Amino acid sequence: MSSRSSYLIRRVLHGFMALFIIATLLFFLFRLGLPDPTAALITEGLNPEERERIRASFGLDRPIWEQYLIYLANILQGDFGYSFHYRAPVADIIWERLGNTMVLMLPAIVLAYAVGAPLGAWLSWRRGSKVDTSGIFVGLMFRSAPMFWTGMIAILVFGIGLGWLPTSGMRTLPYEASGFFDKIFTLDFLHHLILPALVVALYYLGSPLLIMRNTMLEVYGEDFIEMARAKGLPERRILYAHAARNALLPVVTQLAVTIGLAAGGQVVVEVVFSWPGLGREILNSVRTSDFPLAQASFLVMAAFVVTLNLLVDILYTMLDPRVSFK
Amino acid sequence: MNRSRFLKSAQEPVKAILGDRLALVGLFVLLSIIAMALFAPFLSTHEPLAVNEREEGSLFMRSVDGDQVHWLASSPLGEVTLNAADYRDGLGMAVGRDGVVWRYAGDGWSPLDTPITTTLNAVNIREDGATLVAGAQGTVALWSPDDTWQTFEMPEPLSVNDIAWRDDNTALLVGGGETVWLLNLVSGEVTSLESPVGRGFELNSVALDTDGSAWLVGDRGIALRLDPQDDSLSLERLPGNRELNHIHIADSGAGLIVGERGTLLVREGAQARWQSQSAPDSRAMRAGWITDEGHAFAVGRSGIVFEREPGGEWQLVPSDEERHLRALMVTEDSFFAIGSDRFVNRLAPPSGEHWFGTDHLGRDLFSQNIHGSQIALLVGFLGAALVVLIGANVGLVAGYFRGRTETVLMRTVDVMYGIPFEPFALILVLLFEPSLFIVILAVSLLTWRTVARLIRSQVLSLRERPFVKAARVAGASDLRIMYLHIFPNVMPLVFLELAIIVGVSIIAEATLSFLGLGPPQSISWGGILHNARLSGAWRDAWWWNLPPGLLIMITVLSVFFISRSLELVANPRLRARR
Repeated sequence: MSSRSSYLIRRVLHGFMALFIIATLLFFLFRLGLPDPTAALITEGLNPEERERIRASFGLDRPIWEQYLIYLANILQGDFGYSFHYRAPVADIIWERLGNTMVLMLPAIVLAYAVGAPLGAWLSWRRGSKVDTSGIFVGLMFRSAPMFWTGMIAILVFGIGLGWLPTSGMRTLPYEASGFFDKIFTLDFLHHLILPALVVALYYLGSPLLIMRNTMLEVYGEDFIEMARAKGLPERRILYAHAARNALLPVVTQLAVTIGLAAGGQVVVEVVFSWPGLGREILNSVRTSDFPLAQASFLVMAAFVVTLNLLVDILYTMLDPRVSFK
Repeated sequence: MNRSRFLKSAQEPVKAILGDRLALVGLFVLLSIIAMALFAPFLSTHEPLAVNEREEGSLFMRSVDGDQVHWLASSPLGEVTLNAADYRDGLGMAVGRDGVVWRYAGDGWSPLDTPITTTLNAVNIREDGATLVAGAQGTVALWSPDDTWQTFEMPEPLSVNDIAWRDDNTALLVGGGETVWLLNLVSGEVTSLESPVGRGFELNSVALDTDGSAWLVGDRGIALRLDPQDDSLSLERLPGNRELNHIHIADSGAGLIVGERGTLLVREGAQARWQSQSAPDSRAMRAGWITDEGHAFAVGRSGIVFEREPGGEWQLVPSDEERHLRALMVTEDSFFAIGSDRFVNRLAPPSGEHWFGTDHLGRDLFSQNIHGSQIALLVGFLGAALVVLIGANVGLVAGYFRGRTETVLMRTVDVMYGIPFEPFALILVLLFEPSLFIVILAVSLLTWRTVARLIRSQVLSLRERPFVKAARVAGASDLRIMYLHIFPNVMPLVFLELAIIVGVSIIAEATLSFLGLGPPQSISWGGILHNARLSGAWRDAWWWNLPPGLLIMITVLSVFFISRSLELVANPRLRARR
């Protein structure tokens, strides 16, 4: 077996290990830490027998070890259980919320990187100038402002003040959509997407901008740049064809990591813009002690992060020949 | 010698900060914010969580637009409470605290100069325009249309609450301690009338009936009737026993009495009986008015206005602001409601008194913002210190020992990477009581992962360097090598991470507080924004949203500027060709 494939197999195993530990951790944290989900029903005047019946129907009356084993077995079969709160299969809810989160986060992140990386390269070329300083300033400024606040201000200005854009939800209510794609392939959806996506993009902009700029500065010191310069190549060609291409690796890495974390969504953005995404759902599910939904949401997020981190490592082994497979 | 090595490693970052203009600006801003946190009690103009109140001579006007009735707030008459008002034949008068008297003519309101300094509770205009005012400590004075004042001596300094004209020269005054006085304005003589109850109940209002008798109402639902023949008082039975605040009887004989907890008593005609009617709200009603036809109005605390069509049900009518309305003034074509007791100064825009305005509970936002810096910095620095402490040590140990230690530690880091921040913090807060400690813990538990990874990779290359090998050959212990030989070399990176994590922690704390997971009863920038969002008023009150976010931004930005200059120390290649 080559060292590369054994390295990959090991990394995949590690990923699964991490997920298993997270699943276990979550299970016991929730069971031991959160209030009984039927506690809320008691206040609605439920008698104790009725409550026991509901507990039994959710399997909450069994010993915790038994619950744990059933839970693990179910996950392995891809069965995430049944939401207490929605009275519907958890998987259906999660896929829908994950989709909602992704149609917001992916365009926003891609936009941030598509603008930020070239901008960072350009700033590095003009290093030390006023343009460089103000570019860094703007990038860091949006990075420093809490996203929920930027969102609130954006709603105030563009939603309420100027009345240009809708400020809440994914579609104008009431609407009918037969499916997920039916829901998002409309102008109305795009209209709703603009404001939250811009807010997220502005926040993420600083990261590719600074990474690109700093890596470019490092690359300028490399011998092959001197070589290109010695060959008399034009500055612009050296910048984009030689330096930028080599500086792209850390940016791509960061992009993958960011996308991995995006599954959790930016909870605050979803809250501020009433976006029905996974982040908001996870908050609600923990608040209502909806164990199956909360566990599954956490797991999906964790799986996303672990997978994307794995992809980053694989990407590195392919793109950067200096990385060893130890 | 060892100490000097650490000092040396700290020297470079300090030099880097002092040498970079942006970093210097950042340092200056950060120090200002730190000063703000330290001296918050001295800098803030108000108690940050105290409810601020205001009073004013509120003036509301009834406006009808189609079927829609609305009481609009006009610009207030001065800055003190107005307690009573009267109107007759083109002349209106309103009186209030500190002897304030406002005069209304067709063209508007103007203040009158008065010799009175005590609070005025009652006003009544005579047919010729002469106006009798009365109030606290037995103050009674007559204003004549030639703008002169004549004051009268009362036998006791009791509060006079209402006035009625028995005839042109005799006024009926009622007030505290079941006082009923007949004042002869020509001789200045005062006759005290004996109440049949005699328990010292406060009498709040008096009105003349169509037959020349007078109704007096007051505390505990007491109602007295004055016989015009022999000036004797008799007790009347009215439904209910809540305090009655005001009585009005129209020329037709229709009558209205209003009182505490939404009490409404109506008499449909001179011969009819008083009947209790159900009110749409149970707040204190302070004044009522009924027309000859039986169209009735009542006003009370918190801007409550009821109206009733003749014979119909009472309806709650919208009014502009939650002012405590105390009196009604009815002219030929308009209705005025006036007030106001001290009211909570909620959602006030920035002013000289409240520099950043007030929130929905009337709390001073400038002081809240000043105090908010304390939590931000506390969590920022403590959290960052904890994060760097954990992260640097884990990275150092993992990188130095390698092998199984490294595997276990770095797998833990992997697991940490798989946990999303906000939901995890939420669980922590639900598991334990929300407190400052939990917030710091939540912030640090999920942030040390990055630091651990970075430090480890640095240590990995450092441990292969000749000086480490030399130390090992010389017989130095592992601890000694780790902390005395390797650690000083990762110090620049540690400083850099420390700076970055301070910014991250401040944002994380703000995020948690914004989601309502911050420590309760404490003031933080995120918490201010949480309140703003929760109250729903943030859509209008820009002064509520803007400052906390800006403060978070400049604080974090200043830390980032500092960290940028530290980055040059940690990574000298960035300095290349500068």
